[in-house]
Amino acid sequence: MGGFIDLYTEADTFLHRMDPRVKIVAVLLLSLLAFILSHLYLLLALLTFIFLLLFLARATISRTAFALKFVLRFMVLIIILWPIFDPTGTPVLASLGPIKITEPAVWRGVTSAARVGCLATVWYILMFTTSQRDLVRALVKMGVRFDFGLTLAISLRFLPTFGALIDSIKDAQRARGLELSKGGLLKRSKNYVAVLVPTIVSALRTADTLSLALQSRAYGARADRTYLRDLNMRPSDYVALAVLAAILVLPAFAKFVMQVDI
Amino acid sequence: MIPSAHGIPREEKIISTRNLKFTYEGGVQALQGLNLDIRSGDYVAIVGGNGSGKTTLAKALNGLLKPTSGTVMVNGMPTSELKVAEIAKVVGYAFQNPDHQLFCSSVEDEVRFGPLNLGYPEQEVRQKVERAIEAMNLGQLRALAPLSLRLGERRRVSIASVIAMDPQVLILDEPTTGLDAGESLELMNSLKRLNAEGKTIILITHDMKVVAEHARRVIVMANGRMILDSDSRGVFSDLAILGESNLEPPPVVRLAHRLAKHGIPHDVMSVEELVFQLLRSRGGG
Amino acid sequence: MKALELNNVRFKYRDFQNWALDSVSLEVEKGEFVTILGCNGSGKSTLCLLTNGLIPHAIQGNLQGSVSVFGNNVGEQPVSQSATKVGIVFQEPESQLFCMSVEEEVAFGPENLAVPREEIKTRVEWALELVGMKGYNNRSPFSLSGGQKQRVAIAAALSMRPEMLVLDEPAYALDPVGRLGLYSVLRDLKEKHGMTVILAERDAEEALAFSDRFVLMKDGKLLESGPPRQVLRDPAKLREIGVAPPQVTEVASLLNTRMGTSKFSFLTVEEAERAILEEVLKPKKEGRR
Repeated sequence: MGGFIDLYTEADTFLHRMDPRVKIVAVLLLSLLAFILSHLYLLLALLTFIFLLLFLARATISRTAFALKFVLRFMVLIIILWPIFDPTGTPVLASLGPIKITEPAVWRGVTSAARVGCLATVWYILMFTTSQRDLVRALVKMGVRFDFGLTLAISLRFLPTFGALIDSIKDAQRARGLELSKGGLLKRSKNYVAVLVPTIVSALRTADTLSLALQSRAYGARADRTYLRDLNMRPSDYVALAVLAAILVLPAFAKFVMQVDI
Repeated sequence: MIPSAHGIPREEKIISTRNLKFTYEGGVQALQGLNLDIRSGDYVAIVGGNGSGKTTLAKALNGLLKPTSGTVMVNGMPTSELKVAEIAKVVGYAFQNPDHQLFCSSVEDEVRFGPLNLGYPEQEVRQKVERAIEAMNLGQLRALAPLSLRLGERRRVSIASVIAMDPQVLILDEPTTGLDAGESLELMNSLKRLNAEGKTIILITHDMKVVAEHARRVIVMANGRMILDSDSRGVFSDLAILGESNLEPPPVVRLAHRLAKHGIPHDVMSVEELVFQLLRSRGGG
Repeated sequence: MKALELNNVRFKYRDFQNWALDSVSLEVEKGEFVTILGCNGSGKSTLCLLTNGLIPHAIQGNLQGSVSVFGNNVGEQPVSQSATKVGIVFQEPESQLFCMSVEEEVAFGPENLAVPREEIKTRVEWALELVGMKGYNNRSPFSLSGGQKQRVAIAAALSMRPEMLVLDEPAYALDPVGRLGLYSVLRDLKEKHGMTVILAERDAEEALAFSDRFVLMKDGKLLESGPPRQVLRDPAKLREIGVAPPQVTEVASLLNTRMGTSKFSFLTVEEAERAILEEVLKPKKEGRR
């Protein structure tokens, strides 16, 4: 249950131990880097680096494959579609009526696909190695208001609950002869009312109790709320941050100041 | 290996499972080879603690879950080849939480939903709806919104919405959960009437008081297996079986067992029986 | 000072016609374990919601009379303040746990009260041990059984170090194993910790053995209040208010009727066994001698 929602797997790697704030910054920096780099080889190098990190995070092949399925489909789509919509450049490799496939466009397609691959997979480093609670804690520490953090945490926490709820409601209605995928579009959307209404009603009932439970546990009692677990930057976290900064700053400097084409 | 319901004449089997196994996606083996016959007119309780497999079994009996291996036959047809909507005409299933089923703006519409889905002609739908509303004693509430009703009433509406499809077998998942003694009694009496009229009833429960008072046959589940299939008296004579399935015998049964060495039979099921036996033992001296 | 004092309290939910509570007066002493017994709709949940001020602060309606907890009028202070005196546990295990780990769940209350970190740690361990959930710190509440969830909910209330615990049908949806675990925690709270407890129930069976007092409710009114033996003596009276009488009290009552006496009154199976051996079965043996 919840495999799709919570990608986190417990392990003891340097990435798991790293302060979640550093990981959030890292992911943002590596994403920026993917935008700065324009050479295919450099992007492929970045992609390799990201996979190396995933490997070091002990992401198992099956989990990675699961996570990559969507990304890969998207990348293939870009590689196929890009040359069709981008007719600029020479030489022309093939032409069919108004459609022209040029060699530079093919490379641009592959490069864009590599960039998208980097942008999508880099987030998995964070998701694989950071528990939801640490993620929310980091966001609150980084300045997100506590109630927003709590709302996010509650949403994440209740996702599997509502997943199970919807499954149960679907079963309950199927047992009353409802065939969800039967009929035309109109009939089918009407079918879903039978699932939607009980889901909303149950969700509202849950929300009601939830609000009573929150208040009964002194929610909002004091502004100077304390936290059982705190995040503490360790020396290794600062080192990681410095290394990451260098990884971004050097190429940025090369590209924008030195005007080197990278 | 499994003690069987001895002495019961062979009647028409509505449901029968052969070597029924079911494994959930995560690899949990919820059912590990069940052979079970449900005959027309039965009043069966399937009991067991959480995780015993009783709810999985119930869902396999009406086709919501298809066997991983083995078969479930409903009126001679394997469920693996039938749609849930087709099985619903024979095996009805009322879920534990009525709020997972109710969505219409009136009780009557709610009860109509099932038979309409099954494509019965209007005339027949109307008849079935009337019978279901009467069976669950909902005449007074028919125009009200189901969601405005109390839990006991909502539960009766959800059961009526299943009865309206006129299934031969009615499966009820923990129908007394959350009900108080009065509501519980009203519901169980309605079920008794339905059973007397020929409806086959299957109760999924862990409430052994309800079992003692209502079921004629009890199937005890533990770890995905049937560890007992007997008349209900047989269940209460063997506390070890209940213990194995994480069930708690009613206090009167526990008391009778403690007094067994003083001549009280160990299959006492009710307060009246126990007192009768106590006075008989006393009078016999 | 009384732990709880309801003085002629009436409450009507907004948009409802009937009084959910009607002229209820009740006093609970510190350290008392009081079980409130009534059918669905008798007003016991409403009474629970009054004890920490959720009524009238979070749930609107017409409230008359006064409710005070350890001398403080809960209508006049925010719920978050009453919460330091009264911990509350609801029916549904699933919807009252909202954190991603058991530990956070139990720490949530003291965190809100700005308790120092070291002290929270101590309280979390103490509360989890008390409810038999030690070592479950990092488990997701979602992955627990119903009974375990309710015990975590109790721990989450206890970690605020309340002086009174109020439970509204905590065993509502639990299987026998879950119920057993839950009631053994409640027994410990009374016997080892002397906690003041108010327990709302539809069924007297489990709470019978360790309740100091039973209170019967029907249609928002308080019908009777007294020691279990006195209140539960007459099964017919309980059936009348829609409550299933405990089976052993039914045995006692039927024996009394059949034997033309009134000497039988038992609350537990063990007590019944002793009395029956003594009074019903033994004379027979003597007769034989």
